[in-house]
Amino acid sequence: MEAAKGATTMLRGLYTAAAGMISQQRRHDTVTNNISNINTPGYKQTNAVTRSFPEVMLSLTGAGPENFTKVGKLTNGVFAEESLSVHLQGDLTQTNNSSDFALISNIAVDGLSFDASGKSVGQGGEVIFQPQAFFTVQDQNGEIRYTRGGKFTLTEEGFLMSSDGSNVLGTDGQPIQMPAGVGLSSLILTKDQRFIDANGQDIGVQLLISRIDNPNLLEREGNGSFRFATEDGEAAAIAPDDRVEVRQGYIERSNVDAAQAAVDLMSALRAYEANQKVIQFYDQSLSKAVNDVGRV
Amino acid sequence: MNSSMINAMVSMSGLQQKLDLLADNIANVNTVGYKRKEATFEDLLTNLRSQPQSFNQPGRLTPMDFTQGWGSRMTMVQPNLSQGPLQGTDKETDLAIEGNALFEVEVDDAGSRAYTRNGAFQLTVGANGDTLLATEDGYPVVASVRDAATGNRVEGNIVVPQGYNLRVNPDGTVLGVSSRRTIELGSIKLLQASRPAALSAVSDNLFVIADGINSGDVLQQIVPDSENRISLRQGYLEQSNVELSDEMTELINVQRAYQLAARALSSSDTMMSLTNGLRA
Repeated sequence: MEAAKGATTMLRGLYTAAAGMISQQRRHDTVTNNISNINTPGYKQTNAVTRSFPEVMLSLTGAGPENFTKVGKLTNGVFAEESLSVHLQGDLTQTNNSSDFALISNIAVDGLSFDASGKSVGQGGEVIFQPQAFFTVQDQNGEIRYTRGGKFTLTEEGFLMSSDGSNVLGTDGQPIQMPAGVGLSSLILTKDQRFIDANGQDIGVQLLISRIDNPNLLEREGNGSFRFATEDGEAAAIAPDDRVEVRQGYIERSNVDAAQAAVDLMSALRAYEANQKVIQFYDQSLSKAVNDVGRV
Repeated sequence: MNSSMINAMVSMSGLQQKLDLLADNIANVNTVGYKRKEATFEDLLTNLRSQPQSFNQPGRLTPMDFTQGWGSRMTMVQPNLSQGPLQGTDKETDLAIEGNALFEVEVDDAGSRAYTRNGAFQLTVGANGDTLLATEDGYPVVASVRDAATGNRVEGNIVVPQGYNLRVNPDGTVLGVSSRRTIELGSIKLLQASRPAALSAVSDNLFVIADGINSGDVLQQIVPDSENRISLRQGYLEQSNVELSDEMTELINVQRAYQLAARALSSSDTMMSLTNGLRA
């Protein structure tokens, strides 16, 4: 009876270490995906955030119902809670390709100053993230998606299309279609994201840039696009005084930091190894308990 | 299976494709009229590892579920039609286009068309014994010529009579010059690509438009003038627009990304071996 109780205590630690291995595996997967997308235009680095299991209170039992003895608090493990995209500006590269567009977004909010990681911590400790601007696209199912990957192309019908085949939307909410015979190389993008031709004539097409106040509410979908996870996500067209700029002939590079990724990879691997070692030690202890204790 | 391993593997094959593309560009650094190929990367489908509602703890910043990516792939391979440098050759059948335009050539007897920037033309003998202006591979260059019977302008080839030399004006008109007189032979057809993404590069330095796409949507005929800043240069060849320094920079970039992905792969291999070694 007492021996059985001892074994459960040990197994608890065994499972804690196993949970550690699984969450380090998630971290490793996330870092690998960042490395994979080190050359993906508009890609935003994601970080795996881990959290300990809820705390439990341990009490010593068996000493009678009247006198419980509190032992202390304990957490039973760790889990990969969320994959947090870091919506920071990526570097711009000039491509000289007239169908490439880069977004530069540095939206200011009254009364808040954002730090280098794009967040502002209020006096009460609340964290507010900087609003971000996105290109607005419509995928093949007609759903609205947001992307920072400005590698576009013109289809033969003249639709402006993102790299995964979604239509880029204009301010009228409709897919952008260039007039027949008009190519992007003959058009110039103005400061307010309208297209003008070589003679300075407006061709009536304006890119819809969406402002998303809390970019953390976006869920990564793949193919460079983000969507709102819930129905209540709100996006609005940017205001003229928002500090957002679109540059034609440039591309926003992935904001993955290669050095950081290499370090994170090592750190996840070693933490995984440490948890593996802990499991081996538990195994040895169990082996002792099972095979050696009580041997005559 | 270890998803880091799949992720790294998928991305490495994408990077390998990009490396192949760069090698193709570098190999064509001296190909007349070659246009460098460009490609981009895109992150692959992301799936959501679902989480029970009890995971919704205070302090959580994102919506429920853990997103997991599966690497990247190469996509959008398309030619960069920017101008290459012009080199003088003093050969009368060498033509170079200055500005955004393409030559049209006939690639078979059925009249299929292809497009090129390679102006290293030659005189060849057509089916009926005429001397025609054609590409190095013998594809006749499409031009607008005056029909002998009606006098109207029709699409045809530049036929050079015996004893005449070629003279090509910057606006594309071709003249035959002999010691006695000068005759008009037609004007070379030039097209401007308003939808360059629809052009796909095939062999022999040619571009074609995929079946099912109306060529009129992609290419528009254009006559060189000072307004559109297009002109034809006789006795010049347009060199490849591949910039070796750009390609090498890209090469370094891709190689390092490949290396890093390989590190992730070996790291996930180590993880799997650790898992296997759990019970010694």
